Amino acid sequence: MTQLVELRDGHQKFADAGMKLYTISYDDPEAIADFVTAHKMPYPILSDLGSKVIRDYGILNTEIKPGDIPVYGVPFPGTYIVDEQGIVTDKFFYDTYKRRDGPENMIDSAVGRIQLDPNEPTAAFMDEGIRVSATLHGAGGVLKQGSMRHLVVRFELGEGLHIYSDPVPEGMIPTTVEVNGPEGLVVQEAIVPPTETFHLKGLDVELQVWSGVVDIVIPVYPNAILLSEMRPLETNETTIDVNIRYQACDDETCLFPRNRKLTLTVPMAPVDVQALPFHQGHGQNEWDANSKKHMLRLVLRIFRQNPKAFFGGILRQIKLGRAAKAREREQKRASSSRTRNLDHDVL
Amino acid sequence: MDFVETDETGFEAPAPLGHPGRKGLPAGHPTGPKVGQRLPDFDLPDHTGKRIRFHEDRGNAKAAVVFFRSVVW
Repeated sequence: MTQLVELRDGHQKFADAGMKLYTISYDDPEAIADFVTAHKMPYPILSDLGSKVIRDYGILNTEIKPGDIPVYGVPFPGTYIVDEQGIVTDKFFYDTYKRRDGPENMIDSAVGRIQLDPNEPTAAFMDEGIRVSATLHGAGGVLKQGSMRHLVVRFELGEGLHIYSDPVPEGMIPTTVEVNGPEGLVVQEAIVPPTETFHLKGLDVELQVWSGVVDIVIPVYPNAILLSEMRPLETNETTIDVNIRYQACDDETCLFPRNRKLTLTVPMAPVDVQALPFHQGHGQNEWDANSKKHMLRLVLRIFRQNPKAFFGGILRQIKLGRAAKAREREQKRASSSRTRNLDHDVL
Repeated sequence: MDFVETDETGFEAPAPLGHPGRKGLPAGHPTGPKVGQRLPDFDLPDHTGKRIRFHEDRGNAKAAVVFFRSVVW
């Protein structure tokens, strides 16, 4: 749901890029209609009732068994990007459904370049005519549980200048970017643009370099240590340090190597959830699009599809609930026994 | 205070560990049409019942097709 709202807020960007956006779920048209009304959705949300397209694509979540309410029939969530001919040029699927992309990541992929938004948190420095910036890109650079953002380090190099990609010969400085965020901000491996081959005059070496505008992208997302849909935000902003080391050269000489730190102050926000008892009271944005009514209809649908499997699903969930209760009791026992030992030590 | 457990991907959810609603994509599991393939066409209704045939509807535009879990929960 958080993703649908981000896509709504960035919907104009798809139009500006000449792109179309389609979203698909296993929900029925009635539930989608209430959602569209409540959230003023401007793009199509399509109903794959019975999950036929989801199955044909091979992305039905097969870890979920028939009868598992209310989730049987959902896909492994993900996104396909297609070009003018309808050919898939990129796709985004993750280990967990919690991770999801906003509009900017989809559009950048389709267009083939990163279009930073002036509203995104950014910091920059200038070194001898070279501008280097760090921007938390995507959905206004707001961190939310699981939402994929791109930390973009952009080098704007003057005519004739280049910077080096690893590996380099001894004594030269490759470009490196290191991101240090708060605990629970997962920092993934950098995505770098293709390099050009550069022949260093007087030496028989070929080097891999970048020139012009160079974007190094570091995907990041907050996990439950930083942000969780199960508790209110403790603070609504955080900082991310970006350490940048590089050396720019032209055909003949090199500028001084630089070690710079940029610090971004970035907002954090709760996620959007349905007004259902298991989501409520956790300090998130609760929305009611007749949620309870549609939940009940969904459960009945799964019952009608396969009554026998339905009861099996209920039994499995009762067992899971009991096992969780047992773990909770065990945790409480362990913690009260620790407290007793502490009291004893004090005495 | 709810009893909340973190799963192996580092997230919390309002359901016990092992609940079907928390099942993610297993490592190495295929993720449908591949890069380089034409995205298979689909013909699905929107919330008003209007059917949308994907390739016809997008014309010659680039597109993003997002499969998500649910608007209900």
